[in-house]
Amino acid sequence: MDSTLGKRLSPWAFMLPFLLLFVAFLIVPMVYAFYTSLFIHRMGNSYFVGFQNYANAFQDTAFWGSVLNVIKYAIIQGVIMLALSLALALLLDTRYAKFKAFFRLVYFLPYAVPGVFASIMWGFLYSKPLDPLLQMLHFDPLASGAFLYSIVNIATWEWAGYNMTLYAASLTGVSNELYEAARMDGCNEWQLAWYIKIPLLRPTIVMTIVLSFIGSMQLFNEPFLLEALTPVSQTFAPNLDIYNMAFSLTNLPYAATLSVLLGAITIAISVVVMMVTRLFNRAAERRQATALVAGV
Amino acid sequence: MLEVKLGRESLPRVESRVRPSSVLKSFVTFVVTVVLLVLAFYFLIPVVWILVASTKTQAELSSTGIFSFPAHIVLWENLKLLFTYSGGVYVRWFVNSIIYAGSVAICTCVICSMAGYALAKHKFRGRNITFFVILASMMIPGTVTAIPLFVVEQPLHLVDTYLGVIFPLIASPFGVYFLRIYIRDVVPNEMIEASKVDGASEGRTFWMIVLPIIRPALSTLFLISFIGTWNNFFLPLVLLHNQSLYPLPVGIESLLSLINTAAANQSLPLYQLVITGSLISIIPMIVGFIVFRKHIVTGLTQGSIKL
Repeated sequence: MDSTLGKRLSPWAFMLPFLLLFVAFLIVPMVYAFYTSLFIHRMGNSYFVGFQNYANAFQDTAFWGSVLNVIKYAIIQGVIMLALSLALALLLDTRYAKFKAFFRLVYFLPYAVPGVFASIMWGFLYSKPLDPLLQMLHFDPLASGAFLYSIVNIATWEWAGYNMTLYAASLTGVSNELYEAARMDGCNEWQLAWYIKIPLLRPTIVMTIVLSFIGSMQLFNEPFLLEALTPVSQTFAPNLDIYNMAFSLTNLPYAATLSVLLGAITIAISVVVMMVTRLFNRAAERRQATALVAGV
Repeated sequence: MLEVKLGRESLPRVESRVRPSSVLKSFVTFVVTVVLLVLAFYFLIPVVWILVASTKTQAELSSTGIFSFPAHIVLWENLKLLFTYSGGVYVRWFVNSIIYAGSVAICTCVICSMAGYALAKHKFRGRNITFFVILASMMIPGTVTAIPLFVVEQPLHLVDTYLGVIFPLIASPFGVYFLRIYIRDVVPNEMIEASKVDGASEGRTFWMIVLPIIRPALSTLFLISFIGTWNNFFLPLVLLHNQSLYPLPVGIESLLSLINTAAANQSLPLYQLVITGSLISIIPMIVGFIVFRKHIVTGLTQGSIKL
């Protein structure tokens, strides 16, 4: 009797430390954020207002403006970075690339540099007084028109090598015989990349799109750091808006409301992206299958 | 010059039946190498810049070319400025970063391997739903829970403490997911059963059989969680207000944010502090990264391929 009870309890005993922290520091804050978002603070008192904060948030043009802006950023940054990562991985996978290990290391190196320091270094390179080249070119990367692209550049610098590494790892799993067979059939390196490697990488590409999107929606460090060098709109990214709401305006219930909304939007769009790319993949696979059958 | 030599070296190694003409091949090799070098330069620019900038005085930063060393190198003076600033608070931040990253990495390994073992090798009611909830929570953006965490930690008196930053980072859903997969695939059931037949307790089996087998996965998780914590900015920024508890990124940001304020006009050498401080913060990460790269890559790719 005792031993069966012990058997039944022992997995939970192993789970206990993790579950305690998981519930206390992830689940409870989420639930509590939702709970807080149902109140307002007035004169040191809390009043239950139901979904009033959400009703306000839906009409909060500043918040939605920041969400749209960060979606625009996520698309531009995602396309540029993942195209670069894919090009790097494919280029280093050809027979023409020399010193592969050295280049892989250099491209992946920024992953080890904390985002804050990447932003500081690029921020100084962007600031006119420190950079005579910019003065000569009459170009100001911190001006409002170029600002978004300057942030795109920082994030691309930080994460292109990381994504390249994920692609490279998926490519090394492929047997060399497949490539040799394709070369025998007269495939050149372009065709090899386009008809064999990219289709093989498709699941990894989908995953990196989703991961990069989730990361971009959380954009905070780069614009927050650059604020020290140039005025940055608080509605450039939702997380700036939320941080400002919580700590400059000390409106925690409303900050919690926006946090909950941002989480929901991020998850919803990620799921949609995953579903759309799956459909797209299936269509592409079908096209390939018919092409193979047709003997193309 | 370098590229030309490369092109020649590659000449004798023409292989397989469909050989492009060797002139064409060495030309393509040359072009590819140039492209790769240009890109390598792009990824090294900021690091080279900060190395050069740390040897200059504040005035020289704007008066000399961004990649040219000054006539008189003042790296040593800049380091002295950094380490003596505000009673050596930079050293404090450095030690704090080691405390946060080290304790989070160790505790994550211990706690996640226990949970991963239970989920991988035990059948019990609620196992699948528990694992599903842990997996689903990986979708939640980290910054979304930071402000709510601040609200929850206030009544627990965890705001502005080491533990307040450490606890939330230990509960890593990725760690459990990663080790569950690893233990399920790598630890043979027969060894666990044999150990139990020999009369070993669950705890002893875990300690003597499971942990030694999964050591490679643990070192990978340790590194990933160490880097993640060392690089984390948003969570400590939200949870800490006492500057003697700051980790490096938050500390350096607090200096940077003074650059355009009144303090900058006083005699504080903020540019040198930020630049030298950033350089010293990056060096251990870059060195560690080069040494342990293989482990890190394994973890990142194994963890994400099955996502």
